[in-house]
Amino acid sequence: MPPEEIQQYLPFLIPILILQLGLMVAALLDLLRRERTRGPKWVWLLVILFVNLLGPIVYFVVGRKDE
Amino acid sequence: MNFLIVLRKELMEQGRTWRFLIVAAVLALFGLASPLLAKLTPDLLKSIPDMPPGLAEMIPPPTLTDAVVQYVKNMNQFGILLALLMSMGAVAQEKERGTAAMMLTHPVSRLVFLLAKFTALAVVFAVSLGLAAVGCWYYTLLLFEALPWGPFLALNGLMLLAFLVYVAATLLCSTLARSQGAAAGLAFAVLLLLGGIGSLPRLREYMPGRLFEWGSDLVLGGGDPAWPALWVSLGLIAAALTAAWLIFRRQEL
Repeated sequence: MPPEEIQQYLPFLIPILILQLGLMVAALLDLLRRERTRGPKWVWLLVILFVNLLGPIVYFVVGRKDE
Repeated sequence: MNFLIVLRKELMEQGRTWRFLIVAAVLALFGLASPLLAKLTPDLLKSIPDMPPGLAEMIPPPTLTDAVVQYVKNMNQFGILLALLMSMGAVAQEKERGTAAMMLTHPVSRLVFLLAKFTALAVVFAVSLGLAAVGCWYYTLLLFEALPWGPFLALNGLMLLAFLVYVAATLLCSTLARSQGAAAGLAFAVLLLLGGIGSLPRLREYMPGRLFEWGSDLVLGGGDPAWPALWVSLGLIAAALTAAWLIFRRQEL
């Protein structure tokens, strides 16, 4: 299949990207509002932004500290 | 003592801490991505620049089978990972924070406390897997053809049961452990143990891992049913919850 034909599948990617972005944005919002996290905040920022998919999940599970 | 009130509190907690959202988003994401990945993999392989001539023609075109195999594989990996991550803190974290003691000064028996936790997690996984299934079914319809919905439903039911084995086992670990980290370590050991037993030729017929295989056989045809694995899985869930209760009952909070 030539590249033009692969392009026809791009619309299928949109909902997947939205879900992934949604997780990332939710994690970022939570990080910004939280006063204390387990470990330095800037590390979590990098993890959420650059570790694909697993970054936000790991942040939600272990990064947060209760206020 | 009222189970429904405690369950409602647990479900609200799952929503408030974004846990519901995480499980739903991750599983739905892989539900959609699996058929798409199955469809595109041969083309992505062919687009590798230095592919030797002749090899590209040997890559078979994607089929419905690839979509189902991909879906089951992703659900297996991420479902079990999430079951561990979401359940490891269930009891341990409340012990760490002291909220378990606070909660149990109310007339909530410890059995109700544990059962509500398990049920809330079961609801989270059932709803999330339901979303993933709808996504996978729809994308498979668009990219390949319609999946037989009865067997596909059965596949998802079997996968849910397998997830719940891991939820129950992790809850037990969470009860045994004093901290969330220790619970995670224990649960991971259990995961390796179950996986190890599941790879032994004689015993794999009885392990929850076999449910994934049975489910995809139902959708794709062929293979044998694995009723023993189903009964063992239900038994493991009951045993893990009973053990958790017996231990939790005597624990100083």
